[in-house]
Amino acid sequence: MSENAQGLLVGQLERELAYYRRECNDLGARLLRLQEEQSQTFREARRSRTVAKLIREAYRLADGDWTPNDIGVPMLEIIIENALCDGAALLREDEGGESFRVIHAIGAGADATKQPIMIPSPPEFFFTTARTPIEPLAYELTSILRLPYLLWAYDKPTGRALILGSRSESNVSRPFEAGDQEFIEGALSVYIDIVLRKQAEMELRAAKAVAERASAARARFLATLTHELRTPLNAVVGYSEMMVPGSRYDPSPADRGRYSALILEAAQYLLKLADGILDYSYLEQALPSLAPEWLSADQLLASTVALASGESHSRQVEIRVMPVDPALEICIDPVRFRQVLHNLLGNAVKFSLPGQLVEVTAERAEDGTAAVTVRDTGVGMRPEDIPRALEPFQQLDPSAVRAFGGAGLGLPIAKRLLEAHGGELTIESMPGKGTTVVARLPAERVRERLDT
Amino acid sequence: MISVGYAKHSDPATAVRTCVSALGTGNPHLLLAFCGGKHDPHAVRAALRAAFGEVPVFGGSAAGAVGRNGFGYSGFELGLVAFFDPAVTPQAVVTRQLLADERAAGQELGAGAARIARDGDLVMLFFDSVATTSPLRLHPASSIVDGFHAGFGPRPVCLLGGGLLTDMNLAGGWVFDGDDVVKHAAIALVFPPSLQAETVIMHGCRPVSTFMEITRIDGAEVYELDGRPALTVIERMLGLPLGGSRGHELTLTATLGEKQGDPFAPYDENAYVNRLILRANPETGSVTLFEQDFARGTRVQIMSRDNSLMLESVKRGVEEMNRAVAGTQSLLGLYIDCAGRGSARSGAPVEEAELVQKGLHASIPLLGFYSGVEVAPFAGGLSRPLDWTGVLTVLRRRA
Repeated sequence: MSENAQGLLVGQLERELAYYRRECNDLGARLLRLQEEQSQTFREARRSRTVAKLIREAYRLADGDWTPNDIGVPMLEIIIENALCDGAALLREDEGGESFRVIHAIGAGADATKQPIMIPSPPEFFFTTARTPIEPLAYELTSILRLPYLLWAYDKPTGRALILGSRSESNVSRPFEAGDQEFIEGALSVYIDIVLRKQAEMELRAAKAVAERASAARARFLATLTHELRTPLNAVVGYSEMMVPGSRYDPSPADRGRYSALILEAAQYLLKLADGILDYSYLEQALPSLAPEWLSADQLLASTVALASGESHSRQVEIRVMPVDPALEICIDPVRFRQVLHNLLGNAVKFSLPGQLVEVTAERAEDGTAAVTVRDTGVGMRPEDIPRALEPFQQLDPSAVRAFGGAGLGLPIAKRLLEAHGGELTIESMPGKGTTVVARLPAERVRERLDT
Repeated sequence: MISVGYAKHSDPATAVRTCVSALGTGNPHLLLAFCGGKHDPHAVRAALRAAFGEVPVFGGSAAGAVGRNGFGYSGFELGLVAFFDPAVTPQAVVTRQLLADERAAGQELGAGAARIARDGDLVMLFFDSVATTSPLRLHPASSIVDGFHAGFGPRPVCLLGGGLLTDMNLAGGWVFDGDDVVKHAAIALVFPPSLQAETVIMHGCRPVSTFMEITRIDGAEVYELDGRPALTVIERMLGLPLGGSRGHELTLTATLGEKQGDPFAPYDENAYVNRLILRANPETGSVTLFEQDFARGTRVQIMSRDNSLMLESVKRGVEEMNRAVAGTQSLLGLYIDCAGRGSARSGAPVEEAELVQKGLHASIPLLGFYSGVEVAPFAGGLSRPLDWTGVLTVLRRRA
């Protein structure tokens, strides 16, 4: 081949090489762009899938045995896993509506302040990028997690908000943008929905427990009532049958007198029982119609103790009223509060042994409340039995109840009446050591008479 | 003998408890821990101390973790490997001098490992990937690995490992150095000679350009390709300008690849060493690579990530691994997975870690972590740092 021909061939080969290089690079560039477009499409699709995945995963929380408060952190874990941000927090709006508190936070900024965060006009949706002007709203929201790039959603009706934050703008692949609204609002809605469900579930469970307790209490009441009615009624019927004309027993006059006394005792017991049941039955109606007035605590105690003295005398139990500040006045419904004291004194006397002492006192505490205390040294009860003693129709120890009488309504009635006064009843007791019952009235129902 | 535990929970104590319960009973001689970057490392270390006493803990931060019962990169993952038998427990060498000089630190580590290791022993290398965050500078794995080989000497060694990151945004990194939580540290775990490693490297990039010569470079900063500004060349390929925050997106899009062996041999994914682009610099027309092991005169190609290729590569690699270890006593599967391969970053329709999780034979205890860079024996020669790869290793008793 001549030099000329060789030169032509080389030139052609060089042109051909240049052509293939150019084509290769052009095709490569197209491939690169297609690949990038495909990745971008997948990333966009992933965002849509992420919303669905988040909802699916979050709703699994609804099936778990979580309380509404337990939901927060696992919910944020799911959100962070799907959003791939650096930190996230759930917030609740304070009453009044101008400030929020962080209730759960994880990741960066998790040590966010628990103090109120002022956001006077919370937006329903917000996000920041490097181009977001530093205006008050952006400043307020970025200060929550102390992260510059954030995504925010707020649900006005429930006062709940969700914030996500990142340190760098190109978080994984891209900045936050308007298209993220669906994600964050979806996450917040799911959270709210699950919390509301859990709250409803808890309320239902509580109501069910109350209903079950009430049902059990009714069953116990019926059992108690049956027993308590039958015992004295048997006595009435039995002794009456023995005294009825034509009876085969033909009791002597002395026996007749003794039987009549027993019949009377049984009838009186039945009357007490009926009174107690009626009192408790009318409690709901009576509570709203309290007629409070200011009375001297000293006088109130003295008059109530006087009423109980007959019973205490017959049981050989002394009731002693300890010195009470004569200036101490309490604002109570005289009839209902006397009933409280009467029931407490009645119990104290009933569960004391002959020769024992019951002390009653009233005093004002440093916090302004007043405590009326009834203390006995009687049979007492185990501390774990105290809550049951405060529920109606409970028999702690059936044999003891039979021995001491009563349908177990005194304490529950006293408790309810005291609570209607805004007060509370507390009991300390030990078997064999006695019982101390404190009826505490709130400060607004306590004062010192000025003219003393 | 060797047990693994994986957990995901925002409370570090709970995450540790879950992992510990998966490890079973016994007192481990050493723990290897990979901890999601959103956890407080000191809280995790304290929880591990409470559970195991003064057992040395090595490892560090991870952008995520992979276990048999789950995987993820939320930052709340925790993966533990517990070595219960002294016969399989590695000895550790630690350096905390990366910030001063990565190569010298690598050399110190290599020399320390050489004093323990026999010929051909397995050495796992883990190091803090992030030197500074503002401006972002990585501890270049190429310098550490180069230093390691220099310090270790000419004897054969099976070196593999990965760079430790707190997240996909390269926001930080830290190391469990046996006792404490430290920055700028690297650890080498020298395994007993009775163990050997089977390793497969799974790629995911293909060339989209002709060969280009690096005509101007300074460390990891590539200024010119074929005499033209490197950024201009890459922008022309991508068909879009890369400036400001978009420069960061290059990490997601293209890499520079150096083909080993015959440059004109048919395409083989295993022939390429890829370098991720950390950022584009419009002011200088340059791009910054993750590593600084390319030099003036290195012939490179622009590489495109290819998600389909990545997934195919994983399937192929896992099958290859299953075949290689079939019939042998496999003690541990360790998957060192480039964080960028997670579908949130790559846009892959399927999580490739899931393919490993489900594909690797179920009898092999598996733990993986999402890394900043992977280190593995390459093309039959010395180990090299790799980008955008998944390195799957199975430890087994030497035949």
